[in-house]
Amino acid sequence: MKKIIPLLSVVLLLISCSNTDDEMIAIDNPEIALNIPTGFPEPNEFVRFNKPTKYGVELGEKLFSDKRFSADNTISCSSCHIQENAFTDGKAQGIGIEGRIGLRNTPSIQNLMFMKFYNWDGSKLQLENQPLVPIITHEEMDSSILDVIGKIQNDASYADLFKKAFGDAAITPERIYKSIAQFEYSLVSANSKYDKVKRKEGESFTAGEAKGFEIFQQKCASCHSTELFTDQSFRNIGFPLNTNSNEAGRARVTGITADYMSFRVPTLRNIEYTAPYGSFGQFPTLKAVLDYFDNGVLEAENLDPIFKNNGSSIPLTEEEKNNLIAFMKTLSDTAFVKQ
Amino acid sequence: MQNFKKYFIAATAAFAFVSCSNDDQNAVSNNLTLEFNNTFKNTTIVLGDAASASATANTSAAGQVHHFSELKYVISNIRLVKEDGSEVPYNVNDLDKGAAVIDQSKTASLSYVLTNVPSASYKLIKFGLGIKPEQNTLDQVRFPKFYAAAGANDTQMMWEWGSGYRFTKVEGFYDTDNKAMSIHTGSTVEGTAGAYTQGVNAYRDITLNLTTNAVVGSSAPKIKIKADFDKMLSGKINTITLSTGTGMNDNATPNVHTAAQMVKFVDNLGGNGTNDISGMFSVTAVEN
Ligand code: HEC
Ligand code: HEC
Repeated sequence: MKKIIPLLSVVLLLISCSNTDDEMIAIDNPEIALNIPTGFPEPNEFVRFNKPTKYGVELGEKLFSDKRFSADNTISCSSCHIQENAFTDGKAQGIGIEGRIGLRNTPSIQNLMFMKFYNWDGSKLQLENQPLVPIITHEEMDSSILDVIGKIQNDASYADLFKKAFGDAAITPERIYKSIAQFEYSLVSANSKYDKVKRKEGESFTAGEAKGFEIFQQKCASCHSTELFTDQSFRNIGFPLNTNSNEAGRARVTGITADYMSFRVPTLRNIEYTAPYGSFGQFPTLKAVLDYFDNGVLEAENLDPIFKNNGSSIPLTEEEKNNLIAFMKTLSDTAFVKQ
Repeated sequence: MQNFKKYFIAATAAFAFVSCSNDDQNAVSNNLTLEFNNTFKNTTIVLGDAASASATANTSAAGQVHHFSELKYVISNIRLVKEDGSEVPYNVNDLDKGAAVIDQSKTASLSYVLTNVPSASYKLIKFGLGIKPEQNTLDQVRFPKFYAAAGANDTQMMWEWGSGYRFTKVEGFYDTDNKAMSIHTGSTVEGTAGAYTQGVNAYRDITLNLTTNAVVGSSAPKIKIKADFDKMLSGKINTITLSTGTGMNDNATPNVHTAAQMVKFVDNLGGNGTNDISGMFSVTAVEN
C-alpha cells in the first residue's frame, strides 16, 4: 500500500502538469510593477511572496468592500477604512456591527508595503495575517472565515475573479488574505505637495509651510522620520491613557514592561484627512495634538527620553503651531483620497 | 495543483479508511480517560458570582481572599511514555482529535477520553497547557471542531487580536470587596520556532509521573489529574499580589495581557519548562 501512494501521486502530478493554468496566469494576470517612490524604505520582506497582480488587486479591492464579511452583512473593511479619509473612519474608535465600539482608533491604510509592523502595537508583521483579526473580532465583524466563504462562494463574479487571480475558482482563506494584502500593497501615497516640492516638479512651499517644515525637522522628525514620516519605533509619549483594561500598547505583544502604553509612531501622510488622532482618538484636531505637546504630556516611567529630557513637553508658539499644521497639510495626497 | 490536492486527500482518506478497518484497536479497553479535578489545594472548586455563598474561597500567600466565576484551560499535545521510555504521541498534530477545553462549568469536559491508545503499560504522561505556536493560528479549515469549541459564545477561548487561542481564562473576584479579576493567558509569538521575532510563548509542556502504571489494553484506565489553582497566585515560581488599575504593574484585569505580568501567571500554572515541569498539575491516582 505504501508503494501505491507515491505512484498515484506521480500519476496525478503528471496529469496536473499537463494543465496549462500556470501559463495562463503568466499571460492574463500580469504582476503590477512595484514602483517604489524615491527615498522610501525597502518593502516588507513578505511582499516578495505575494507580489500584487492585476486581478489579485482587483479581487482584493472587491473583497475589501464586501459587507458579507460581517456576521450581519452590514460592515465591510471599507466601512471603517474609507478612501476619502485616507482609509480611516472619522471616529474616535472603530465601530463594528450593532454599533459595538472597538478598543482603538482606525489607522490609515497607505504605504503599508513599506511597513515592518502593523497595527498600533505592531502585533502583526505580515499583512497577509491581518485580515482574519477584524473578521473574527467581536467589536468589528464578528464572523469567521468559513462563514465568509460560505456567503460568497456561489457568487459568479467571485468565481471569475478568483480564477483570473489564482488560476482556478477555488475560494480559500489564503487566497482571500493574499488578495486583500495585494490590494493594500497597491495603495501607495507619494503625490502630495510635499513630494512635488521635493521632486522639484514646479511646486514650492508657502512661507508658512517652509517655516513649518523647519520646525518639524527640529522637533518632530526624530520620530516622524523617513519619507513615511514614521521611524516605525514604539514609544510612550504620554498621551492621555485608554483606561480599557485590554490596552497596554506594545507591551501587550512583547511582554516587556518598558513597552507599556508605547505605540507605533504613526505616519503623518494624509494626516489632514484622518482626524480624530491618537490611539483611541483622544484629539479631535491637529491643533489639539500640538496644544497638548505644548502644555505637557503625562509622566510615565517609560516616557520617551525626548520628552523626559525636555520637561515632558514640546514648547510651541501659536505661530509655530499654525506653521506646523500648514506643513502637515502639504502631506495631503488629493489623488490618493480621490478628492 | 489544487485538483491534485483534492485527489490526494481523497486517496489518502480512502486508504486510511481501509487501514482503519484492518486493526482492532477500537476496543473500549484501549480507552484512557484523563479526569481533571480543579482545586484550591485539596478542595474541588465550586464556581460562583461576586456575592455567591457557595463558591469556594481561597486565600493566597499574599493574604488575598479570592474565588472564581469561570475557569477554563486548553490541553493539547498529549504524549504517553511507556515503561521502556518510548513515547506514544496522541494526535499531537490534530487539535480536533488531540486537544480539549477543560471547563469547570461543564462536567463532561472534565473527563477527556483518549481512544485507540496502543496497548502498553505507561509510567508517565506529558501534555501541553495551551497550544504550540505552530498550531496556534485559529486555522478553521484545518481544525474546524476545535475552532468551534474554543470560539463558542459560552467558551470564548480565542484571542482575536492575537489570532490565537486563549490558553487559560479565569474570571473571579478578590479581596473582601470582591474586585473583579480576569486572568487570561495566550501566546503572542511571531516567527518560527527557534527564531521568534517578537512576543511571548505562553505554551507550557507538562510532565507528570503516574502514581502507578496505567495499563492500557486489558482495562481502560483512568488518570486522575489535579489542577491546583491555589498555585496561580501562590506558585512555585512567583508569589503574586493582585492589584486593580491601569498602571504597568496592575495585574488583576486583562491588562495582564501586558505579557510581562501574564508570564508570572503562566509560569505558576504551567511551570517554566526548566526546573518546574508540572506547574499546578499533579497525578493523584491511576485507576486500572
Ligand atoms: C470596525 C472597524 C474596522 C473594520 C470593519 C476593519 N478595520 Fe482594519 N482596523 C481597524 C482598527 C481600529 C485598526 C487598529 C487595530 C489595532 O491597532 O489593534 C485597524 C487596523 C488595520 C490594519 C493595520 C494598519 C496599519 O497601519 O498597520 C489593516 C491593514 C486593516 N485594518 C485592514 C482591514 C481589513 C482588510 C479589514 C476587513 C477584513 C478591516 N481592516 C476591517 C478598524 C477596522
Ligand atoms: C518621541 C517621538 C515623537 C516626537 C518627537 C513627536 N511625535 Fe508625534 N507621535 C509619536 C507617537 C509615538 C505617536 C502616537 C502616540 C499615541 O497614540 O499614544 C504620535 C502621534 C502624533 C500625531 C497623531 C497621529 C495620528 O494618526 O493619530 C500627530 C499629528 C503627531 N504625532 C504630530 C507630531 C508633531 C507635529 C511633532 C513635532 C511637534 C511630533 N509629533 C513629535 C511620536 C513622536
